[in-house]
Amino acid sequence: MDIKERLGKTKYDVDKNYAHISVDESICAKCPHHFCVMACPAQCYTLQDEKLVFQYEDCVECGTCSVACDQGSVTWHYPKAGKGVIYKFG
Amino acid sequence: MMPDYDAIVVGAGNAGSAAAITMASKGLSVLLVDRSDPPGAKNLSGGVLWGNDLAQILPKWQSEAPLERFIQNKKIGFLTDKSSIVIDFKTKMFEENKVGYTVLRSKFDPWLAKKAKEAGATVIPGITVESLAMKDGKVIGVQESGDTVTAGVVILAEGINPRLAIEANLRGPLQDWEVSVGVKEIIKLSPQKIEDRFNLTPASGMASEYIVGSLGELNIGAFLYTNKDSISLGIVSPMEQLRENGMTHTYDIIEQFKEHPSIAPLIEGGTVTEYGAHMIPEGGLDMVPKVFGDGYMIVGDAAGFGFSNGLVLQGMNYAFLSGILAGETAVEAKTRNDFSSSSLSLYREKLESSYVLKDLKTFKDIRKVTGNKNMYTAYPKMLESILLEMLWERGQPKKKVREILGSAANEMKMSRLKTVTDFYSIYRRM
Repeated sequence: MDIKERLGKTKYDVDKNYAHISVDESICAKCPHHFCVMACPAQCYTLQDEKLVFQYEDCVECGTCSVACDQGSVTWHYPKAGKGVIYKFG
Repeated sequence: MMPDYDAIVVGAGNAGSAAAITMASKGLSVLLVDRSDPPGAKNLSGGVLWGNDLAQILPKWQSEAPLERFIQNKKIGFLTDKSSIVIDFKTKMFEENKVGYTVLRSKFDPWLAKKAKEAGATVIPGITVESLAMKDGKVIGVQESGDTVTAGVVILAEGINPRLAIEANLRGPLQDWEVSVGVKEIIKLSPQKIEDRFNLTPASGMASEYIVGSLGELNIGAFLYTNKDSISLGIVSPMEQLRENGMTHTYDIIEQFKEHPSIAPLIEGGTVTEYGAHMIPEGGLDMVPKVFGDGYMIVGDAAGFGFSNGLVLQGMNYAFLSGILAGETAVEAKTRNDFSSSSLSLYREKLESSYVLKDLKTFKDIRKVTGNKNMYTAYPKMLESILLEMLWERGQPKKKVREILGSAANEMKMSRLKTVTDFYSIYRRM
């Protein structure tokens, strides 16, 4: 089952005005491994034409990328009040 | 100036709510905040809830809490490409005591937070605390949207990704060796199918944990539990392994586990209804930060309290107990009206004399076992060839067990010395 389809099963209340994670593109451009692409379980990090592209909307807030990135590019905060992933089962 | 509350608890998971219940029931004024609304909607259970400690504060939990199925049998085993080698442990003692249950955290956690409210705590879900309020190096409260709320003590129950503690330098940023990435799916299946497939009654459940050696160089763990009308299935990948491997997406690993010939039939016909991920503490004693200081204590996953040896994965019990012990410490600190570091050091003493720190100390070298690649690939393969020799008739002359062992080790290019030292290492540390 494709990851996008699986993520589609999970409920979110996306905060359209606030990205709780930000990445520094200039650091990512020089990153030797882009391990975030492999580690992120929600496919928020992808490589498009060798350029790292990040989107926060599907993030399940696990924090994996904050550990996976050893280049200092990822700034990680929790989403604001009640926003983000809302597990129905957990 | 008098603080607004005796205690503020950040995070209404198992550890935070247990702390809030302990303190509020002893008359402390307690504020319990959680970033999700309802509380628990960010949490995933990657294990069985063992409720011995929960019973200390909520003796009727078994009849009142939203639980899924009590654990009737526990399976542990190895998976190779084509085989599964599993021990299925079923005992009447599980049924007589009923202390282990599968749970869904989005149902369980709101119940526990409600119990904190009933005990007298003020519970506010949907509040993301932005930072700790500090004064002269002491934690004096929390800040959100420019407001400061003060307390004698702040209990940090933030979970495995403790942003407040990291940002206030109460612990360092998480390192690869400290965490695994857990990926989990909820697979809907009718109660009838679950009970038929796993040989269960309508109330009983099964929990299984696997060491997976069928994913090439990646050494991972996996689990499969039965809920009332769904299966919880997931994989646990150590961050160190993922980085070293560097070519497998975490979201693909769980699919490979689901396709294993021994797993696929168990979930056949089921529908994925939720996908999620969560980190898991794996660093043992070495990852535990200083768990108390002036005006604060750290409990549960945020303190790294978890146990994993590849075949057993526990955390919720440590969460309950550490929350209770921090709560008790706050109650005693309140009678002394002293929330300084030296007063709160009682929490560490309580942890030391409980199984929380005793377990972490006993198994402080367990990562040398769980990090041993032979545990995931070579030994399961050896076991597989031994069982094939013993249990499969192939029209060939039979061998004695010691010959089987010898040829299995040769097949895996394992020297006798390496095998003996590995088993000695496991024997000493596990």
